[in-house]
Amino acid sequence: MEPLKVIITGPVGAGKSTLIRTLSETEVVDTDAAASEDIGKAMTTVAMDYGTLHLGDQLLYLFGTPGQERFDFMWDVLTEGALGMLMLVRGDRPEDLGPARRMLDYLLSQHPVPHVVGVTRQDRPPVWGPEEVALFLGLPKERVVGLNATDPKSAVQPLMRLLELMLAEEESRS
Amino acid sequence: MSLGDLLPLLATQDGALEIFNLERHARVTLYISKGTLYCLNVGGRLVDALQARSVVGELMNARRGSFEFLPGARAHRCEEPLSMRMDRLLVALTSTQDEFAMAREHLPHPDTVFRATGEDGPEDGRLRDFWERAHGLLASGASARGLAGELGMPLDHARFYLYKLRQAGNVEPVRIRATRPAGGRSQLASRLLNSLKRRFFGQREGAWNP
Repeated sequence: MEPLKVIITGPVGAGKSTLIRTLSETEVVDTDAAASEDIGKAMTTVAMDYGTLHLGDQLLYLFGTPGQERFDFMWDVLTEGALGMLMLVRGDRPEDLGPARRMLDYLLSQHPVPHVVGVTRQDRPPVWGPEEVALFLGLPKERVVGLNATDPKSAVQPLMRLLELMLAEEESRS
Repeated sequence: MSLGDLLPLLATQDGALEIFNLERHARVTLYISKGTLYCLNVGGRLVDALQARSVVGELMNARRGSFEFLPGARAHRCEEPLSMRMDRLLVALTSTQDEFAMAREHLPHPDTVFRATGEDGPEDGRLRDFWERAHGLLASGASARGLAGELGMPLDHARFYLYKLRQAGNVEPVRIRATRPAGGRSQLASRLLNSLKRRFFGQREGAWNP
């Protein structure tokens, strides 16, 4: 059975690497490097993160894109042919919503990829909730979920929502 | 002396202002009469109103250039006069540039495709030239990069106009839909979903949202 890939994207510091580490059953291959500018953390992903998840006999590749826009050529490479895309944005950093919307608008105007937005740090209020973020991004509220990327049961919610929405869309078509 | 300082001095003059030794443009000639810019020539080519705004905007930020004013000089050929009042143009460009500086981080990606939401144009007069030229392209979807190429304007200006038009509700980003036929994926999605629930919750039904 062909492996499938799920893309984890979003602005710098959204929690992409954390989410992949939480969900992956194999040790995550990351490409972190010391940040060359003040982005609020010491290390950042410069190529991609990679983890795996076996669901029955189906292998899922989890690919995390770099958040910096100068690596935007990789967004297309990684998104092509993906099962779906999870975009993460930090709930406690509303200033990241603009870059997140910009990224989302670009990717969805180029790729017909099923998608869900995850709002991280829901365990650290005060934060923006999923409904507020959905409003800002112009998405239906069912496409945005809140999560804590360090907790497996919470971190898996965006992936579950993605599959639920795919299922609902396919059933509405048939 | 910046162009913003120079142009008001010429507001009551008739003639041609030639600007050369520029970093980003060939020789630019502004033909002015009674405080009105009626013709603008870039490297021997006349430009339209939309391009004229972009060129003057860029000249206002030029870090290098030389100029010469030719009193009484008139354009030999100017079939569609621009009729832009210099004082209003400078005020509009200054406010646009301030907005541009503030919006820079939020401008859309150059390749994001936008589509017009209707026929009505923006109420903001600064956007009308762009809307009139771009509306046909935006009706079927166009990116800032595509519009900049088609309309002969700097990419960042096209991105800024799209940003403003989106704020005004005149355009929205296109979201591509899959064209594949139904079927196949529903079984896959169902199977993966059940596996996820078993794996992370030890049951067939998991939480919808924490």
